[in-house]
Amino acid sequence: MKIFIHNLNERLQLVIIGAVVGVGGGVASVALNRALEWGAELLHPYRHHWFSFLLPACGAALSSIFLFNLAKDIGGHGVPEVIYSVIRRGGLLRFRSSYSRLVSCCLTIASGGSAGPESPVVISGASVASNIASFFRLRDRQRIVLVGGGAAAAIASIFNAPVAGIAFSLEAIMGEWTPTNLITIGVASAVGTEVSRLLQGNQIPFEGQPFTISNLDLVACLGLAMFTSMASVLLIRLLRCVREISSKTVSLHWVRAASGGLVVGLIGLMLPSIMGEGYGAIRTVIGGSFSEGLAIAGLIALGKIVATCLTIGTGGMGGLFAPCLVIGSFTGLFYQRFLIYLLPGVHWAGEPYFALVGMAGVISSVLQAPMTGIFLITEITGGYQVLVSVLLVSVISVTLSHIFEPFSVYHHELVAHGELLRPRTDRRVLSELSITELLDSDYQEVPPEMPLREFVELVKRSPYHFFPVIDSKTKRYLGLIHFDDVRAYLFDANLYDSLLVEELMDTTVPTISLDDELTEVLDVFEYGHDSTLPVVHDGRFLGLISKATILDHYRKELIVEEEI
Amino acid sequence: MRNELLHIFRNTPFGRETLMASVYFCKETGTSLRVYIPKFRQFLMYFEHEVVTVDLDRAFLRDPGTAKKHAEEIVLEGGLTPHFIEPKGFTASTLPDLPVDYRYMTCPRTISNLSAKIGLGYIGPRVRNIIRSADFPVFIPTPVYKEWKRIVVFFGGSQNAIKAVQYGIEIATVSGFPLILFTQGEDKDLRYYEDEIKKAGLFEKLETLGFDWLFFDRGELKINLYEVPHDSLAIVGAYGHGVIKEVLFGSKMEEIQTVLPNSMLIVGPNCTPVIG
Repeated sequence: MKIFIHNLNERLQLVIIGAVVGVGGGVASVALNRALEWGAELLHPYRHHWFSFLLPACGAALSSIFLFNLAKDIGGHGVPEVIYSVIRRGGLLRFRSSYSRLVSCCLTIASGGSAGPESPVVISGASVASNIASFFRLRDRQRIVLVGGGAAAAIASIFNAPVAGIAFSLEAIMGEWTPTNLITIGVASAVGTEVSRLLQGNQIPFEGQPFTISNLDLVACLGLAMFTSMASVLLIRLLRCVREISSKTVSLHWVRAASGGLVVGLIGLMLPSIMGEGYGAIRTVIGGSFSEGLAIAGLIALGKIVATCLTIGTGGMGGLFAPCLVIGSFTGLFYQRFLIYLLPGVHWAGEPYFALVGMAGVISSVLQAPMTGIFLITEITGGYQVLVSVLLVSVISVTLSHIFEPFSVYHHELVAHGELLRPRTDRRVLSELSITELLDSDYQEVPPEMPLREFVELVKRSPYHFFPVIDSKTKRYLGLIHFDDVRAYLFDANLYDSLLVEELMDTTVPTISLDDELTEVLDVFEYGHDSTLPVVHDGRFLGLISKATILDHYRKELIVEEEI
Repeated sequence: MRNELLHIFRNTPFGRETLMASVYFCKETGTSLRVYIPKFRQFLMYFEHEVVTVDLDRAFLRDPGTAKKHAEEIVLEGGLTPHFIEPKGFTASTLPDLPVDYRYMTCPRTISNLSAKIGLGYIGPRVRNIIRSADFPVFIPTPVYKEWKRIVVFFGGSQNAIKAVQYGIEIATVSGFPLILFTQGEDKDLRYYEDEIKKAGLFEKLETLGFDWLFFDRGELKINLYEVPHDSLAIVGAYGHGVIKEVLFGSKMEEIQTVLPNSMLIVGPNCTPVIG
């Protein structure tokens, strides 16, 4: 099998393995869906008891214990881990990530925790893809594309939305749209969707009723974009805040998760719509059968934000897609009722319209991925007639929220560690190069006790301009001599036997270590106006590194990227 | 590849012995020592085709206030300069990545705190994962620090065994310790094994260096292992055959590590010896 794959053209390899990855992503999402249904049925009889508010706490605690103690995995929904692996680690992901978060997420959501199943499925699909690529011994670049395919297949199959899967993968994970990416990710997404349709049937998750949209509704969308952007910023900031406070105040991970779950359970006693992934609540709103008033709609939107932050921020496992859809739908509903209250004489499009558009606004802003929001809402509601409105709200909402939160919820952690390297940027290209491969080890060492006479003779015969001075006994680096450093003494023969190399060498030249990043090295070059610097590690001279060599390799790396 | 040995420090008496063994190894092989004092329960090592998660037990995180001081004392006492690794990459905020371009890495037999698991015959799953994936050999020292004065390379004719010989030549050259080849002949005579080494272009180097050959054409391996000097470093190739062959016929490395209490340098299938 491996030999067969290796004999194929690179694109064909990716298409075939992309299809296999699609099956993996599809199966993972169907398995999670079924497990969530089963969990919901299992716990249904207990939801009407007085102690039902404890269920999310128990689920979150079990989820945390499973993830940290049994699966030995780490917290978080996993999407930043996928992005990091794509940016920095050639798409390598751990095998345990393919199942650990699925089980953990199932425990969190089935017990009533406010989170979505999508992000765990994304890391699961991506991890399956990464391990398949490693099994076939594919190259890093191929593995990265397949990881993107795994993520796309997961989103596509869980929402029955193939184009949204592609958009999510390209926007949020890969960060660029290239033909190779598009083909492989497209294949994986299509196969993932078909697997889901085969096993679960072809249903539009939130099919709504048709509605009439007037120009006034489009204008009103501008206001809705403000509301959705505010909701998104609130969600992102509160999530970060809860995460920081809870990690500082409670050290035991399962106690932390349980405490978050307990508060969610208590909120759920008053606002049951905020519990779980919330698909039922969305269906009620989209179906136009939400009967409560403006204040309750606003409270649910706010309650869902708080519950989601408490669930995920304290260590419960789950993603933000589904909560964003719930928050968006109730924000839209709240806005529509607010408009009716403000302008009772105007005939507005129905509640489902504003709910759909609100969903697009929130999800686009939280992910900072407008295309994902647009395609997702269009596909999961079958509402192509709202395309223009969705487009408008998504774009404006992303723009407004970008002012307050310039990075998506997935990218924020990477930015904090300086690891968000966008494709085809300087830092990304430089990150592909290492100091070891740029090292020029063709040089001539000189001892510190060498007289100038000998050094001049050496320079006459040598093609080099730089000479590292190395202690003959300890082999430690002492300094550097450039040809220019001796120019002043060349015509004074009296000094030939009295001056030694150690008196001429420059000990102030900054040195580079193997641990330095190339971006730091370039800063050193800029700061000191040097063209060549010595690389010294543990006091030992390893070679020279020059600006010209870096630029040469940089150019070659760019050519390789362009060819791909 | 850096001429460095990676050591994960465990701030316990057992960890002290392991670090002392690493210091000795570095001194004898002319390698720099890089010590990592863990701050988190896990770290990752991204190899070419696999990412290995190393789950540490609580002992690795014990008493962080004294860990660095203890490690520094041991390294300085051994005559080396202490260098500590601070991970730069983080897969997640509590999951650091360690570089993998080292020449050697020290692992105890198991990265576990259970004393029952540090005896003969057991190499933990995480250590095995590293051996399988790394392009550097893994140094497994004796549980109690013991210096070695000879190098014994186990040579059975496989590609991995050839790599083990290369490492043996390298270490014997740098340390000046005598080199011994150990071969358990399996229906083949000494000439066959000599030819394999000649084919790899290593025989001349061996002759120049000088070596002894413990060749056994009879008797069981487990019994013949008694002849391995107690004060030697055993260099063994591992996982050179496919999984099926290993399951059916067993592994020489497993037989050796079950019986031999010496410090071992295990050369995995992805190792690429860098000579010189």
